[in-house]
Amino acid sequence: MTAHALEEALALLRRRGAISAVLALSLVVPMSLAGFTISLGLWARPLVALERQTTVVRVLLHPRMDTVQRQDWLAEQVRLHPGWRLTEVRQEALKERLKLWFPYLEDLLEGENPVELPTLVEVEAEDHEEVSALTKGPAVIAVGPTSSVDQILGLIARRLGWLLGGISIVLLASASLLAATWIHLEVYRHADEITIMRLVGATEGAIRSPFLIAALIPGICAGVGASVGAWYLVHSVGSLVESMGLTPPAYPTWLPAAEIAVGMILPVAAAIVTMARHAKLEEAE
Amino acid sequence: MIRLRNLTKTYDGRRILRGIDLKVEAGEFLFLTGASGAGKSTLLKLLYAAEKPSEGVVWVAGQRVDQMSRNQLAMLRRKIGVIFQDFKLLRHKTVLENVTFVLRFHGLGSREAHRRAYQVLKRLGLHHRQSALPEVLSGGEQQRVAIARALAYQPRLILADEPTGNLDADLAGELLSLLCDINYQGATIIVATHDHALLEAMPARTLVLNQGRIEYDGSWPP
Repeated sequence: MTAHALEEALALLRRRGAISAVLALSLVVPMSLAGFTISLGLWARPLVALERQTTVVRVLLHPRMDTVQRQDWLAEQVRLHPGWRLTEVRQEALKERLKLWFPYLEDLLEGENPVELPTLVEVEAEDHEEVSALTKGPAVIAVGPTSSVDQILGLIARRLGWLLGGISIVLLASASLLAATWIHLEVYRHADEITIMRLVGATEGAIRSPFLIAALIPGICAGVGASVGAWYLVHSVGSLVESMGLTPPAYPTWLPAAEIAVGMILPVAAAIVTMARHAKLEEAE
Repeated sequence: MIRLRNLTKTYDGRRILRGIDLKVEAGEFLFLTGASGAGKSTLLKLLYAAEKPSEGVVWVAGQRVDQMSRNQLAMLRRKIGVIFQDFKLLRHKTVLENVTFVLRFHGLGSREAHRRAYQVLKRLGLHHRQSALPEVLSGGEQQRVAIARALAYQPRLILADEPTGNLDADLAGELLSLLCDINYQGATIIVATHDHALLEAMPARTLVLNQGRIEYDGSWPP
């Protein structure tokens, strides 16, 4: 039975050789791009972690606060936010840090008349928004910059990941649609033959298996082609990235197997759905 | 082999068959005759389950046909050889392939299927056209391919819908002789025909249908 199904599938492919080749090629393009975007996504993934790093936010306390009030305030923050690490900047480093994080205070710091410098507290926290909220209280007069270059890079990488993931899904969906359309046309082109086969005693398996194998073969070819295509794209972009002094994206070793699996699953799944629909329609008639 | 009880078939409100009751024993030879539109082909279609009855019940080989799943139907159809009025040949396959492909899903290997298909084609005088596609064959040749396909797997029941419609008198006689041989070996045969010469050539039980009803059931001539 399997040998017969294979013979019938090959006959089907021979009769529609050009169309089968076009299907395989049409699957290669979106699948190669999907493989390439997955490689890029994996390359960008370590950067995403940067976004979740803890941030150090500088908090400027009111200069009129005395030592006791300052200690009370620090103790209260520790109690309210157990995840925070608060460090009071020492006097010798204070001027320099203030200049760095609060540059608008420079005139005041460099003025001829010495002024009482405010206390600067560095707060290490995961959520900088919570630290920024301290300005609502009377003890804090200002909060320094709340994000770092690393975090911005992480945010960009995360958004890039979502974008690439979305593109991959759209590309694979378009590949499935293409395969489904091909199978749909093939099944309806052979509708008379399928009816005759049913009438002379062919089981559903005997009828469907040649179509499934005929869909599987271009799918495997497309999977191999897509692996090569994705490797070429990753390699080309990698060379470009490397010339810029960055680590190039790597071609994952599991990607060829995944591409071939997807190349097999997409058209076969499309064929199964189409043939089941055709059988139902015929039954209804 | 076949039992029909109160069988009725309606198309778009028009009754093609009306309350048919019939019993055909295994090994019987039966002619179905009647004017065009009498319901002969519809009755055959109900027997091989290409149609479902509107009312009534059909039993073939001890199985109730209208309650079968697709695969059960396939198994039943493997016991039935149908000679279709419109031949129903696969147009992309050669004469030999049209016969072998049925044998292949009956479980025969490629070599055995080819051997048996060639034998049947030879018996029907078509072996020299084994590589031809159906579209280049004459109506009579296409009909003989359809007959070869129905006989190749030696079914227990043969349903023939106007099998001599495209054959000349000599070939029709040869086909009838072939069907007689197969019947003699134990197969049940039902032939739908409006060819009175065929009925006269072979003494057998004859069922005359008229406007969807059995008008006569007995030997020919009535």
